[in-house]
Amino acid sequence: MENKSTKISEELNEIAPFLAKMERVNVFQVPTDYFSYLKEKILTQIFIEQDEKNNLQKVPEGYFDSLSDQILSKIKMQKNESASEEIKSLSPALHYLKEEQTFTVPENYFDNLSERILDRINNRRTKVVSISSVQKWQKYAAAAVVAGVIAISALLTINHKSSNNEVASKNVPGYVKEASQYQTAEELNEGISSLSDDDIVNYLQSTGNILDEETITKNLDAKDLPTPDEYLIDENALNNFLKKTSDESDKNIQ
Amino acid sequence: MTEFQNDQELLALFKDPSTKERAFTDIIKKYQEKLYWHIRRMVITHEDADDVLQNMFIKVWKGLESFREDSQLYTWLYRIATNESLTFLSQQKKRSSISLSDDENGLANKLKSDTQFDANKLEWKLQLAIQSLPEKQRVVFNLRYYDEMPYEEMSHVLETSEGALKASYHHAAKKIENYILNN
Repeated sequence: MENKSTKISEELNEIAPFLAKMERVNVFQVPTDYFSYLKEKILTQIFIEQDEKNNLQKVPEGYFDSLSDQILSKIKMQKNESASEEIKSLSPALHYLKEEQTFTVPENYFDNLSERILDRINNRRTKVVSISSVQKWQKYAAAAVVAGVIAISALLTINHKSSNNEVASKNVPGYVKEASQYQTAEELNEGISSLSDDDIVNYLQSTGNILDEETITKNLDAKDLPTPDEYLIDENALNNFLKKTSDESDKNIQ
Repeated sequence: MTEFQNDQELLALFKDPSTKERAFTDIIKKYQEKLYWHIRRMVITHEDADDVLQNMFIKVWKGLESFREDSQLYTWLYRIATNESLTFLSQQKKRSSISLSDDENGLANKLKSDTQFDANKLEWKLQLAIQSLPEKQRVVFNLRYYDEMPYEEMSHVLETSEGALKASYHHAAKKIENYILNN
């Protein structure tokens, strides 16, 4: 030991002789008895930490007995939580904003809304009820009559205009001549609605060769026929159907 | 406010031809405002809301005969109103697909063209935020936030589980709050 210490002093003396001769003073201070109680302090700390750890693993008495009840009551509370309580806790800003009015409604809009809706329902019903309540074959026949009138008048309008085909205009019955005078769809519709049942029956009898059963069945397919529901939903359902049918019979006739 | 008969009584009156129209009038009057606002928040303009509302009641007239009373009239009406509004929006989207890239934009534009629109006002920001939500979330948010509908009833209207609806609502509310705070 001595040998070692001497060696170190000699070494320092060689490197820094001044430093080697300086008195060695400890400038740092330690609290009184610090080292006397150090061991106790360390042991106490270890004990406290251990105790805390043990406590963490402990559960309050009876905790598990009431756990299921607690959870269930919480679920119940959440389930019955009103929308306003919910948004209050979710976002107070949104809860506050809810009362602000943005959209406006025309004055008295709600006063006669039900009347307007019932009017629409009744109008549609009077238009289609007679068709939807009759037998299926009658529906076909009615549609075929209208389609036929449209088809024939279309055909004859074309023929009438072509001067080469004078036979057609000479031999046609009066009501067909009448049909050919309609230039627009509106005029034609008016003409059709003015026809009496007898006119239609006469027409059907006299034009049986053109609009016979075969033509009807060929041009009318039950699957294609709009259902009464469709009439109610879409005012154009019947028109579209008739247009399609009349196009087809036009083709067949030509 | 007028007192209306309960739904069971109204349905019974509707089935009797002599009281059918009266019962139907009462059903309209009883639910018109709730349904109108539900539709209006979806389609935005009054004209569109009026269209959808009238058409939905015409469908109700036809469907009420076969309405099965194992579901509630109230949730059934909300279901029709929701479906009709969504159908309306998708048809409109189809028609305007050339000019508009998506319907969210279209609806936001509709909001902005309202005469009362004020971009600085929180209530309008809220409306813009709602329109930025995906369609289904928007419906859930509206039904819970404005109509204060219990999840149980909403699950009948939207045919979705209560848990999913709740998650959807919480998600939507947070998104909307963020939108308002950041815009």
